[in-house]
Amino acid sequence: MKSIISFAAQLGATIILNPDFTVKKGNRYFLLNQNLRKVIRKNFYYAGTYLGKVKNGKFFPSFALLAILAEKKANKVVVDRKTAWLFICGRDIFQKGITAVHGSRRKGAHALVLNEFGECLGFGRIIRTLNVEGKGNDVVVKNISDVGDFLRREV
Amino acid sequence: MNGKEFFTNRYRQLGWEFQEATPKQAIRINTTNAKEENIIERLHANGIELEKIPFLENGYWIRNAKVSAGATAEYLLGLYSIQEAAAQIPATQFTRINGKTVLDACAAPGGKTVQLADQMNNTGAITALDVDKHRLKALANHLERCRVSNTAVYNLDARKAPQLNLKFDCILIDAPCSGNYAADKNWFQHRTLADVERNAKLQRDIIAQTAACLNPDGEIIYSTCSLEPEEDELNVDWAIKHLNLQTETVDCPGEKGLTNVFEKRLDASVERCRRIWPGETQGFFICKLKKRGGTT
Repeated sequence: MKSIISFAAQLGATIILNPDFTVKKGNRYFLLNQNLRKVIRKNFYYAGTYLGKVKNGKFFPSFALLAILAEKKANKVVVDRKTAWLFICGRDIFQKGITAVHGSRRKGAHALVLNEFGECLGFGRIIRTLNVEGKGNDVVVKNISDVGDFLRREV
Repeated sequence: MNGKEFFTNRYRQLGWEFQEATPKQAIRINTTNAKEENIIERLHANGIELEKIPFLENGYWIRNAKVSAGATAEYLLGLYSIQEAAAQIPATQFTRINGKTVLDACAAPGGKTVQLADQMNNTGAITALDVDKHRLKALANHLERCRVSNTAVYNLDARKAPQLNLKFDCILIDAPCSGNYAADKNWFQHRTLADVERNAKLQRDIIAQTAACLNPDGEIIYSTCSLEPEEDELNVDWAIKHLNLQTETVDCPGEKGLTNVFEKRLDASVERCRRIWPGETQGFFICKLKKRGGTT
């Protein structure tokens, strides 16, 4: 659970996980609801909300965890429609595609990427400090993970 | 015993004249994650025109699409699922499902599991089984994409469901079946009556074992996308006679279940099932079962 809490902190967010409802299966973490906890058996393959996995000591968050964090106070960049689509296609984000920033603007910080509807598309790392005017043709957020991954997994 | 002529002749004996069918692509809006009217508007802006499916609450046919419905941001965010219209019917047939304990006995790739979770608003608990480990990955991806949070998945043959030592209020058996020609253009070339009989036996075993996990007032929805009565009405007739189960009326389009199959008279209550011959949807068969003596 430490890895999940540390990951949330990288995004400027705080998450409290009840250890009674958080289960580890192999290298994957799941969050159960109360009803599920009553009926769960040891040999499950998947359960409740998938939070992410640890591989080679590194935590890889699920998109469900990112969506949970997006509802909290966290570093967030909101992007326009075209940028949202390019981000889902695996591309990085240009300064001019950002319509709002919440939390840290500083180079090196991690930030959730939201579309115009406030839905979380993934997350990235700020590689140039974000300016307030929102202009510029430089890549400012490096794509780390986006929901287009659901399509790429199927290939 | 195989081939187009063999099977279409059987359909004729059952009172239906074969016709070519190309079911339209359909989607189902996940109302737990999205407001229906917003999705219609957003997909319209993406170049996807929808048409309401009259017999489904959250189902739409895709009338026109400039982009693939499986590659939009809305799809990737789990706001809707791609699910054939007839395949959306079985999960809607439970009388009450919110907050219930549900078994999805043959769950992968998870279209109906996600639909059940959506109808339950992620309340209660779903236990989803599938015997094929490779298909569990697709099921898990589907659950993650659609933000399902009330489901536990097991790599388990539905015939071994009693091993879980759980009782369920609702059991969905969307049984592995022979399929039908509307969903598989080479169906007549590779299906034989022996396949149908083998599948029918497997389905009976699944019904028997999962029925043992049903709460006294619980409901089973049994469905297949097979047109072959051995996998449909004959199995239901068998379940009535051997498992102390009774049929309940299924509320959806389609014809009454057959009660006279190749000169064999079945229990009259089999007509409460629904048989959907291919047309604007693929073929489907749906049945609702309860324990005899349970509350109706």
